[in-house]
Amino acid sequence: MDDTLIAILRSGTPLIYVTLAGVLAQRAGIWHLGLEGLMIIGACAAVVGTVQSGSVLVGLGIGIVLCVLASALLWFVIEKLRANPIIAGLGLTGLGLGGTDLAVQAIYGSQASVNAPFGLPRLGDAFGQYGVLSILVLFMPLAVAGVWVLTRRTRWGLQLSACGEHPFAARSVGVNPARMRLAALCLGGVFCAIGGAELSMGSLQIFAYGMTAGRGFMAFAAVIFGAAHPVGATGASLFFAIVGALGIRAQLLFGERVPHDLLLALPYIATVIGVWISGKLRGGAKAAATFGELRDY
Amino acid sequence: MSRGIRFGRNQTWSRRTFLKASAGAAALAGTGGLALPNRARAQGSGLVALVHTQAAGDNGPIDSMIASLKKLSEEQGFPIRTIYAQDSATFPQIFGSLADAGAEVIAGTFNEVAEPIKELAPAYPDTKWIQIFGDPFDPPMPNVVTVSYDYYLGCYLSGLFASRVSKTGKIGYIGGVSLPPLNADLNAMKAAAAAAGGGQTVTGAFAGSFQDPAKGHEIANQMYQDGIDYIQTDAAATDTGIIQAANEGEGRMVSAISPEQYKLGPSTVIALVALDFGQSLYNEVTKAIGPDFQGGHLSTGLGTGVIDFLLSPVFEEQGPADLVAKAKEVWPEIEEARAGIINGTLEVPFNTEL
Repeated sequence: MDDTLIAILRSGTPLIYVTLAGVLAQRAGIWHLGLEGLMIIGACAAVVGTVQSGSVLVGLGIGIVLCVLASALLWFVIEKLRANPIIAGLGLTGLGLGGTDLAVQAIYGSQASVNAPFGLPRLGDAFGQYGVLSILVLFMPLAVAGVWVLTRRTRWGLQLSACGEHPFAARSVGVNPARMRLAALCLGGVFCAIGGAELSMGSLQIFAYGMTAGRGFMAFAAVIFGAAHPVGATGASLFFAIVGALGIRAQLLFGERVPHDLLLALPYIATVIGVWISGKLRGGAKAAATFGELRDY
Repeated sequence: MSRGIRFGRNQTWSRRTFLKASAGAAALAGTGGLALPNRARAQGSGLVALVHTQAAGDNGPIDSMIASLKKLSEEQGFPIRTIYAQDSATFPQIFGSLADAGAEVIAGTFNEVAEPIKELAPAYPDTKWIQIFGDPFDPPMPNVVTVSYDYYLGCYLSGLFASRVSKTGKIGYIGGVSLPPLNADLNAMKAAAAAAGGGQTVTGAFAGSFQDPAKGHEIANQMYQDGIDYIQTDAAATDTGIIQAANEGEGRMVSAISPEQYKLGPSTVIALVALDFGQSLYNEVTKAIGPDFQGGHLSTGLGTGVIDFLLSPVFEEQGPADLVAKAKEVWPEIEEARAGIINGTLEVPFNTEL
């Protein structure tokens, strides 16, 4: 049981951090499909920064700075150049995947995976079997609670929701939706950097090209599944992590009798079903009518 | 109000004029683009290109091929170009552009490049085409060489070795994606475990990607927690996560694919089912740029210098003493099996069905 929980926390934590970034963007009215790109920038920067500086903190810091800059770029493209957020987000994902590959090649002269000499600090013996997990796992519930308080119990959070749902109303009371979106995206950039760092430095200490392997898109699905509520979206992320862990377990137990491909597809099947149920419960057709449009009226 | 596009102080183009001008510029650029390759072809560049369909950075096949091509280029003084092609829809365009640019040799990796090569090779008879890891063409083409690798033979030896060194009798196999050649590798390991006797079991799993070390790490962790103590990797960059998982516990062993992986787990990477793609590409490109090039199919197995099962010299120095001693003790049996496969007295089934 403990082993399964550890596996779920290990694979779920990076997803949850990135999901929180998606929640903030969604509440600001932006369908954030750049999560994958930001996550891989965070993963790459954490490893390369640690290797180059010898400090995990510096690596994490570099990741945060780069992800915030990339988020600001996304905001500029969406807000100032009036690009479609969906297309701009996908562009950011392409930029992240290609840019990290280029960066590794430029720094090390090859596209080989980069290994860090050490990873993020672990919880340690005081946590028993759970001591193998990184400290970012411990901070994850705090981050979820923090985003919940920020979005649901503060004036700023309510203003952010207003900017996402009815920018005209927000502007009429003196709130600047563009500035609120910038803040939400940049704060999301911080979470993406942390999520990426947890993926590459939490238990692996490795960066390899494309290693996010669609996790950013799963985080986006969790945001939709969880109705952009911090707790709901976190629950959706955990659900995906559980299904992923069960998929591996199922391969080991039933791989002889059930096709491996079907078992591997379980998390993705669960994602589609989850988003479908979510749409049914909250009127998906209505949401789809404004899909991707940046509402600024 | 004018809805045109302003260029300078007094120049305003209507939207229609702007679109016409853009279309004209695009057409001009396209015509220029078509003309450029023809000029390059006329010059005869001697270019050797490698189109790899898995990403570099795997500490394995792709890195090895790129390194070998660079080495050969430095030795023989020809230009090279390596291109990572992800989307199979773009393969014909990439191969066609390279051929148009006058490439003398174009090498592509794995099964997915077979169709574009079949389609383009007859149209470019002066270009020599190499497919690394592919089935023979029927009928063969005079300017195409396909190379296949009997990697499953190495996996058979790994399964036999695992059956002897495993303390728990539980053996694992982690592949990238369930493809026929990888299925054959897993089945060869099962066949070896069955032949070894003693009730060893082989559990197989696939990560669903050749580039997901986190997933590899998770699968390997679950396997080790289930008592498996020897895992054969077959998953390119995903392997790094598997080796990382092995490094996190005592008595865990991994058999990998490339000597580059020794450093990732000096005391856990016990052996390699080595497939030296780099050497293979080096050999084929050398033949292709030489005077004696012949199209056809080359099947590469044990005893060719490309595929082998090797005990890690790093593990011999840094591995746990009991496992090192056990590995050395059983090695003569592995050598005997290898000799049997090469001389045909030991037949390994090639079964791609799971």
